Amino acid sequence: MAADDGGGYAVTDLHWLTASEAVRAFAAKRLSPVELLRALHARIDALDPALNVFIRRDDEAAMAAAKVAEAEIAAGRIRGPLHGVPVGIKDIIDVAGLPTTCHSRVLLDNHAQADAVCVAKLRQAGAIVMGKLSTHEFAIGGPSFDLPFPPARNPWNRDHHPGGSSSGSGAGLAAGFFPLALGSDTGGSIRNPASACGIVGFKPTYGLVSRRGVFALAFTLDHVGPMTRSVADNALLLDTLAGHDPADPGSRPAPKRYYAAGLERGVRGLRIGFVRHFHEADLIADPEVAAALETVAKTLAAEGAILTDVTLPTLSEFAAVNRIILNSEAWSIHAPWLRGQPGNYGKLGRQRLMAGAFLQAGDYVNAQRRRAQMIATVEAALREVDVLLCASSMDPASRIEDAETTARTYPRQARTPFNVTGHPAIAMLAGVATNGLPLSVQFAGRYFDETSVLRVARAWERAAGTDRQHPPL
Amino acid sequence: MDTTLMEKIARLAGLDKALAEFPDDVAAAFAQAGLHRGIMHAPEDPAAEPWPPMTAGDTL
Repeated sequence: MAADDGGGYAVTDLHWLTASEAVRAFAAKRLSPVELLRALHARIDALDPALNVFIRRDDEAAMAAAKVAEAEIAAGRIRGPLHGVPVGIKDIIDVAGLPTTCHSRVLLDNHAQADAVCVAKLRQAGAIVMGKLSTHEFAIGGPSFDLPFPPARNPWNRDHHPGGSSSGSGAGLAAGFFPLALGSDTGGSIRNPASACGIVGFKPTYGLVSRRGVFALAFTLDHVGPMTRSVADNALLLDTLAGHDPADPGSRPAPKRYYAAGLERGVRGLRIGFVRHFHEADLIADPEVAAALETVAKTLAAEGAILTDVTLPTLSEFAAVNRIILNSEAWSIHAPWLRGQPGNYGKLGRQRLMAGAFLQAGDYVNAQRRRAQMIATVEAALREVDVLLCASSMDPASRIEDAETTARTYPRQARTPFNVTGHPAIAMLAGVATNGLPLSVQFAGRYFDETSVLRVARAWERAAGTDRQHPPL
Repeated sequence: MDTTLMEKIARLAGLDKALAEFPDDVAAAFAQAGLHRGIMHAPEDPAAEPWPPMTAGDTL
């Protein structure tokens, strides 16, 4: 590759290449998949011992795939839009031949027989699977130091939590270990690490991306989604992941969209509803978070968006409904193991997963009934506006070894509403706090209108240059 | 916290081993459940249906 690829990257900066830039560089013969993978492996060798992003690297298979991709691209045989691009996979998602441990002692020997549908789609598009990434235990118990693998750490400051439960995905993107990653989101687990690590995490509409081959946390709340360093990459990855899967009961047929199309249309005339009460009344956000949200709102208004205030149910009730449903559904999965081998869970996972034992059938059904009402309220709001703007995390990331502060700040978030309702929601960098940690913003939209959410996210990214802000590693 | 109730429900749920080995964790789980139940407003309208609705036909 030339000293500068035209995108402003020197050879030593290959780890900051986005997937879109890498694909262009491959096509122009200025870079090969093998060169990129070698650079990323070297960076991971140097930095991951301090960050714990990977549970399991699959270097040999990845390099073999990169060599095949290199030869195919050189011969002009392009498999798909991600040909030769490395990707990391959260370790609750099956990759054929590798263990899916869910970061738990309970499943240390759980070898996947086949790829999850989302992984199979990545391979069809030409992506190269690098390995399995840290998570909170079963996507709920963390950050924990009593599990078989250490928790991932935040590249902006390794003394801090990278968010979760898709911790390795967020931390690895921010550290420049890979340009694309998969995460899952049941109560905010894609958007929390996106917020803590300053990357772009998108929970699509419920049913847009197949969950088949992904270890369930809560059937009616689980989403799989793209995590990236740029909005354009997020759209590119979603293009690959989206699609109806008749074997996933939650999957919905939706019109095929090309999410990357229209990203640069801007927000002129778009109606954006600002859900201020989430961070001004329901939970009082850190002043720097509140200021960052105001900056985002003013910037989008200056770009031509029409902003109005919107009122939704309170965050505490969204969270309660989310937790009652989550705990009830998770208990139905984990009860046999919690009865027989409770000692194989970490303390946080055990506490959180046993909560379902103390909920009654009526609690669960009432939560689902209240959920229907909440969906109606959000749907009504989205008839008046095109996209919602709100907080994601109310605080910058806590210190990872300060369990008390983590327990206090972890629930201070506005992500669960969109797991309860299933609307698409994206979280991304909104600024950097005085302590050097990322601040975040969230945009949500109508069912299957990921395009508008991405369009607003891109407008903010372009105005603020968030895709070029990286941790000082 | 009603410890007697907590232990009774835990045993009914088959959590005897957890109760013996990790009593604090069982108590924390019991407290979490009660907290969330206390915050949620159950619909008063008897006609309010749950989500997702039962749908007949070839949806599976």
